[in-house]
Amino acid sequence: MNSDHKMQQKLRHEAKALLEQDKVDLIIGFEAGSLKFTTTPLITKSKDDLDRLVINPFIVNNLALFLPDFKGRIAVASKGCDSRSIVSLIQDNKVSRDDLVIIGIPCPGMIELRKVEKLTGKDRDELDDIIREGDKVVITVDGKGSEFPIAEVLSDNCLACEFPTPQDYDILLGEPTATSQESRVKSRESRVKGQGSRVQSHGEGGGLQSEASPDSRLQTLKAMSPQQRWEFWRKEFSRCIRCYACRNICPSCFCKRCFVEESEPRWLMPMPRWQENLMFQAIRNIHLAGRCTDCGGCERSCPVNIPLRCLTKEMYDLVDELFHFKAGMDKDAPPLMTHYEQEEAEDLIR
Amino acid sequence: MSIEYRVSSFEEYRGGRREASKLKTQNSKLVRKKDIGSVLHQWSKDYTIFVPCNEGDTAFTVHGSRLTVYGLWDGSDINLDWYRNTVTPPKANFLPPLEEMFRFQKGKEGHSMELPFEPGVWSLESGVPLPQLIFGIRPCDARALSLLDLIFTDAYQDPYYLPRREGAVLVGLVCLNPYDSCFCTSLGIGPGESDDVDLLLTDIGDEFLIEEISDKGKRLMELTAGLKDATEDDTARANEAKEKAYGRVTRKINTEGIKDRLLSAFEDEHYWEKVAAKCIACGICTFLCPTCYCFDISDEMVKKQGARFRCWDSCAFALYTKMPMENPREEKWQRVRQKVCHKFEFYPMTFDVIACTGCGRCIRLCPVNWDITQTLRLLD
Ligand code: SF4
Ligand code: SF4
Ligand code: SF4
Ligand code: SF4
Repeated sequence: MNSDHKMQQKLRHEAKALLEQDKVDLIIGFEAGSLKFTTTPLITKSKDDLDRLVINPFIVNNLALFLPDFKGRIAVASKGCDSRSIVSLIQDNKVSRDDLVIIGIPCPGMIELRKVEKLTGKDRDELDDIIREGDKVVITVDGKGSEFPIAEVLSDNCLACEFPTPQDYDILLGEPTATSQESRVKSRESRVKGQGSRVQSHGEGGGLQSEASPDSRLQTLKAMSPQQRWEFWRKEFSRCIRCYACRNICPSCFCKRCFVEESEPRWLMPMPRWQENLMFQAIRNIHLAGRCTDCGGCERSCPVNIPLRCLTKEMYDLVDELFHFKAGMDKDAPPLMTHYEQEEAEDLIR
Repeated sequence: MSIEYRVSSFEEYRGGRREASKLKTQNSKLVRKKDIGSVLHQWSKDYTIFVPCNEGDTAFTVHGSRLTVYGLWDGSDINLDWYRNTVTPPKANFLPPLEEMFRFQKGKEGHSMELPFEPGVWSLESGVPLPQLIFGIRPCDARALSLLDLIFTDAYQDPYYLPRREGAVLVGLVCLNPYDSCFCTSLGIGPGESDDVDLLLTDIGDEFLIEEISDKGKRLMELTAGLKDATEDDTARANEAKEKAYGRVTRKINTEGIKDRLLSAFEDEHYWEKVAAKCIACGICTFLCPTCYCFDISDEMVKKQGARFRCWDSCAFALYTKMPMENPREEKWQRVRQKVCHKFEFYPMTFDVIACTGCGRCIRLCPVNWDITQTLRLLD
């Protein structure tokens, strides 16, 4: 089991060495946030800042996001999903592998604060402590600690994660995370079995376990009639304020000019009406086919809790089913939508 | 040469208003928490009532955690013990995210225009009637409305905002449990501030103490049956609660000379690039800021009929300042600078008041924890 603390020490050490030996110009990692149980991106050229680098269960942002913003050689701390987003950016020619030093974090999964809040009935800032101990988490409220299985508070996308260990890295901060294969198999099974099926415990090794499948929301949606589903999304997208946080937090939404910003022709009105909001999200999803790595960033960022992962994960699965393609696995492969293979037609056109 | 930007000052503007409406002697009443429903029921005869609601509590919002917004009161009893503040600020009740301004059509005799309904009626779809009563508004958000009033009355009288605002009653609720992101006490207000509401409620256990703050509030109280007079003891308990709450706001900023410090940092590109680096330039901190008021206007026309809309816009977006030949705020750091300076430098220059109430939304809702108090602290 990798301890966050050990990885954190190693990260600070490696980052310092990289700057000192002039191997990179910029370090991108995480530091403690200004609020309890939050972290914030640390983007720095200065050695003196590096003792602020942290690794803990709250380093949720996908740092691949920042890479196209900066010139020069960059060292970036990267979880499993971040590394896939980096590879995907390389495939799309947005960054060059030669400019990067990827510091891989074998990822044990991120704690979803909104799940903790639901579990405890308290807001984040009313909690005394959240401590992860292997496959358990101890949450302290008003001085009283309670223990829960870690799977109850991990993000859905982490529970479903197929590759928690970075796919591509120069430095790895610990032993590769076990269980990736198993969690994949189990999440497949649960998809087949439908809602309410259970992902079994994976035994030792800090495996990701969950009572409900991480995709149970998706299954509930799929079980609805098209009318019910339409009604469901109408209601959800009526709340959308078109803040574009979902787009801007997404490393795969790298377009300098998004279609929603075009005014001639106007593809989409700027008004936050549910029809336009839904259309925006639908088109965004199509643009992300073969790019989305299921990092969970968009849903986590939405200020009005729209269940965006129900759309992105479905696209992720479809891409896998129809094209046998997973985003960000091979930096030399052409991006999914830019090439064509003969046998695809059979599957796709029905 | 110094440039005089000032149009009118917040204090002057409000001084007049306050004198006219503020009561000389304050009178306090008591209402049992379980009787709130019946009080709202009485008020609902004259007002459309909005209360803090918990939306989005479905299996789908992963997390099922709270999503607090102001919603139409459904007539049932309400319990606000869980309530801290809303995600969407109450400015949405006065400057909605989207509104239709007028409709137009092209006929044989040229264009004609009509208003969709009386301007200022609440919403596009349902046309909820005015006036509205906002129950449980937090002191910071009520202050924010006073700040917005300046904008919508100073250079011109906004015919959509003002009718909604003029008849509205704000029933404030003292924050006994401020968030760790709140810093209202640095901005001249606090969890028990009464300046901007008509009535102020304080939770004192099984009851709320209701203070009459304005004439409007007093008239409302006169028409309300089933209240008890508060004793001195009740008032003392409420004051104690307010004081304790004041002490619970621990986040601070230093506003001393802030506009001059920002003025001298204005050209410091290096500083702004550094603070802007992690910002993702989304619209959260502006859309959901109770004092941000920017809007965009668009026309939509199908065949010969159309309508003009306005909807929230944000200085965080590059499109906001895009013009045919150039964009003066193409770079993210320029937009971040605009946001900070507008609130802490330009607003003070124009109205002699900071356009931030310390509600903390921009901190707690930011996807990357960009914290305005940290940015300002770097200028200390
Ligand atoms: S983050 Fe949520 S509210 Fe903002 S544009 Fe995306 S879906 Fe809409
Ligand atoms: S669409 Fe959402 S889950 Fe997919 S890569 Fe972008 S932010 Fe991550
Ligand atoms: S400060 Fe945060 S909320 Fe505001 S634009 Fe930047 S990323 Fe979005
Ligand atoms: S700037 Fe932030 S703290 Fe200040 S009023 Fe706006 S949202 Fe609230």
